[in-house]
Amino acid sequence: MSARERVARTRAVLGATAVVASLVRGAAVAALVLVVAGALDWALGIERSARVAIVPAALAAGALVSVVSLWRARRALRLGAVALWIEERIPTLRFALVTAMEPRAAGVALPELERAVSNVRWRAPVAATALRAIGLPALLLGAAVGVRAVLPPGVVSRIEAPRVGDSLESPRAAAASGASRLSPLVATITPPAYTRRKPTTLEEPATIAALASSGVRLEGPGRGAGMRASLGGEALEVTGTSGRWSVIFAMPARPAVVRLGDGARSRVIVLEPLPDSAPSVTLTSPARDTVMRDARGVVKMAAGASDDFGLTAVWFEYIVSSGEGESFKFRSGTAARRAVRGGSSTASLESALRLDSLALRPGDVVHLRAVAVDGNTATGPDTGVSETRVLRVARAGEYDSIAVEGAPPPDADASALSQRMLIQLAEELERRRPRLERRVVIEESRRIGTDQARLRRRVGDIIFERLGNSESGEESSGTSPRAAMTPEELLRAANAATAGESAHALDFEGDETPVVALNRPLLEAYNAMWAAGRELETGEPDDALPHMRVALAAIMRARDAERLYLRGRAPAVVVDLAKVRLAGKIDSASARGRTPRARLSSSSATRAARLDAALLLLPSNPSAALDSLVLLRVAALADAPRLAADIGAAVESLRAGKDASAPLLRARRTAAGAPVTRTNAGEWGGAW
Amino acid sequence: MSTFTFATASYESGDWDSAPLVPPNIIDTIARYTSIDVAPTGIVVPLGSPDLPRYPLVFLTGHLPVRFTAAEREQVKRLVDRGGMLFVDDHNHDIDGAFHKTATEEIRRTIGPLAELPNDDPLYSAFFDFPDGPPNTGHELNGWGDNLLHKHLLTVRREGRIAVLYSNKDYSSEWGYHPDNKRFLAVDNTRFAVNIVVYALTR
Repeated sequence: MSARERVARTRAVLGATAVVASLVRGAAVAALVLVVAGALDWALGIERSARVAIVPAALAAGALVSVVSLWRARRALRLGAVALWIEERIPTLRFALVTAMEPRAAGVALPELERAVSNVRWRAPVAATALRAIGLPALLLGAAVGVRAVLPPGVVSRIEAPRVGDSLESPRAAAASGASRLSPLVATITPPAYTRRKPTTLEEPATIAALASSGVRLEGPGRGAGMRASLGGEALEVTGTSGRWSVIFAMPARPAVVRLGDGARSRVIVLEPLPDSAPSVTLTSPARDTVMRDARGVVKMAAGASDDFGLTAVWFEYIVSSGEGESFKFRSGTAARRAVRGGSSTASLESALRLDSLALRPGDVVHLRAVAVDGNTATGPDTGVSETRVLRVARAGEYDSIAVEGAPPPDADASALSQRMLIQLAEELERRRPRLERRVVIEESRRIGTDQARLRRRVGDIIFERLGNSESGEESSGTSPRAAMTPEELLRAANAATAGESAHALDFEGDETPVVALNRPLLEAYNAMWAAGRELETGEPDDALPHMRVALAAIMRARDAERLYLRGRAPAVVVDLAKVRLAGKIDSASARGRTPRARLSSSSATRAARLDAALLLLPSNPSAALDSLVLLRVAALADAPRLAADIGAAVESLRAGKDASAPLLRARRTAAGAPVTRTNAGEWGGAW
Repeated sequence: MSTFTFATASYESGDWDSAPLVPPNIIDTIARYTSIDVAPTGIVVPLGSPDLPRYPLVFLTGHLPVRFTAAEREQVKRLVDRGGMLFVDDHNHDIDGAFHKTATEEIRRTIGPLAELPNDDPLYSAFFDFPDGPPNTGHELNGWGDNLLHKHLLTVRREGRIAVLYSNKDYSSEWGYHPDNKRFLAVDNTRFAVNIVVYALTR
């Protein structure tokens, strides 16, 4: 190997040594910075905002040292410099190596120079240099690592991975005898699972704002024995593990206060629940209400929905109203219902409503809207709805130019209890039955049975009315063949008569009394009322109820019969006040004299008074005043959020020991409200 | 002293004008039994109008579904927050009907859930005494609607006072006749309206 080659190899070794040494020096410096910072944090405590910068600072210092070290060793890159470096350490070379590195300068003496150099070994100085360059920094690095290993774990993590809530990991946080366990305080808030949001941590919270039903965990140093905690007046369990106490509760639906107590010390934390908003839904098509002459065609429907956390389903909803005057029927349905996958926060919906499928008639009204449901599983899914579009089918005579005034409505007959009322009475009797004597049960059951029989007779009157003869079917003479028939036989005959085509004329068939306005549901109701009456007569309301419900269902079906209820358009009425003033008869009525009620106290005035009281208390008892302000803030959160925010700022300033004059002044102005303008000055009271 | 004007709400989704004779009948009743300065005719105010809170009592009725627009919802909230009273009557008197279901849903969504009004509430003694609670109407058992005698009215309260008064008893039909026809009645069946108006004006 020539001299040049040997020097080149030496250069490689020295270069590698320089690189390794610079890295080790940089690592040692970085480690030392971290260890020193940890020791300072252990002894004095360092704010998290400063601790966040320690690792980057350590890395920067280490990198700087490495770079400077490399720069200083740059001479190792040049062969000539390496040769000189060797010459300095091996004087016996007498510059033969340097000369041999310059072939032009060596001239004919090169072979002799090569021979002279080849006999010299410089491995030892190279090794010693490498050892010195790397060894000392390596020792420092080792020492730093060793010190790090003996530091408490909390210190290391606080320096190397500072995070919110690591104040409890500091050894200084461990409560010494007599020290307050209320600080440092760490709150971990876990949102409900359906939000898919990660837990958050707060240090020393004065206020915790989170979704209602979020899980809240408060932790502090020391054991839980002797600690007190309450939420809204209800005590909370304080547990202690691993040198920390903790309290767990759910964020309530309304603003509240958590009180913590440790001996004579206390602490108040405001809970500010944030609502999960209902989905916002917009119906983009149809864009406006419509009146149609013909209910044919397709109505295009389109809607968009959004939610703060996620939707689960969207659909269209319609209600069809048919009828007029006092008689209306309603049908409702949904269209294009679909689930929203993956809990997306937005969704769109499109569909088409075929008007033919709704069987609309003139005068019918369709109410149409879009609906969306979110995934709130904590307090129940919230439903958002869009604006409603009204589609109306014009009435037949709506565009006519002739108006017809109808007759006034007939009087309503309210003499008999309805079947539904009878069912309610029977159910109520059945509920009270265990507490009643058998005799009383029979009496009341028979009373209901009497009403049931009365209603049955009314139904019978409708069913068995003859043409031109209003004789009731139950009281008809014995000459009528129908009089001998039992209700079951009547029902079978009626069923047989109505089987098949209802268009057949039903009256005047042979000698049989015609059953006019034959209505199978009413006959079924009549039959069921007979059975119910029998059970009620024997004092068995529970056995009567199934029959009564059958009768009610049948009556409901019979109500589908069309009714005409003529009503004219009422003229505008202007009341002649002078004529009727105090003309009412109150002699039979008991018009009680009234005493004036006390004026309701305004909420804002109450809040302003409470704020004034807290401010007056501030100089003499700051902690009590602070608690008063915190409680006032909780009370104002729902109704006066701006005041709550101003008071919150004032509380923060007071707790931090800063001047709270400005936020208190803002809060005072907010509580007092806008200036009141008076048109006249008050009376002078005679004193200044 | 300002004049009390009986206001009927007109809303976009249904037949708000289904009881046109109720306002003059109540105005007539107020004049007959009290010295309240009342306007001789009522007024129709759109439910979505910013003028809605100017009226201490607003009457709403109908047969068809009730769906508030955004503007109507906002104004109803303003009306209630400012101390006004909304009197809603189901002209169908049908708890299975679309008016009841949709109106109660809109009220719940806009103001809050309805609860039963106790029959010893000060409303029932605000002027005339109704010791048994809300007077029954001749329409509750007329074969239409739900055919039930409703023992209670429903309400949403604000700071202890009635903000929304909801009726299933069909006072719209009970009071829907010309005021001159009162002379044919043995007992004036509109007296309860005096209690409602007096309550709205004095609470």
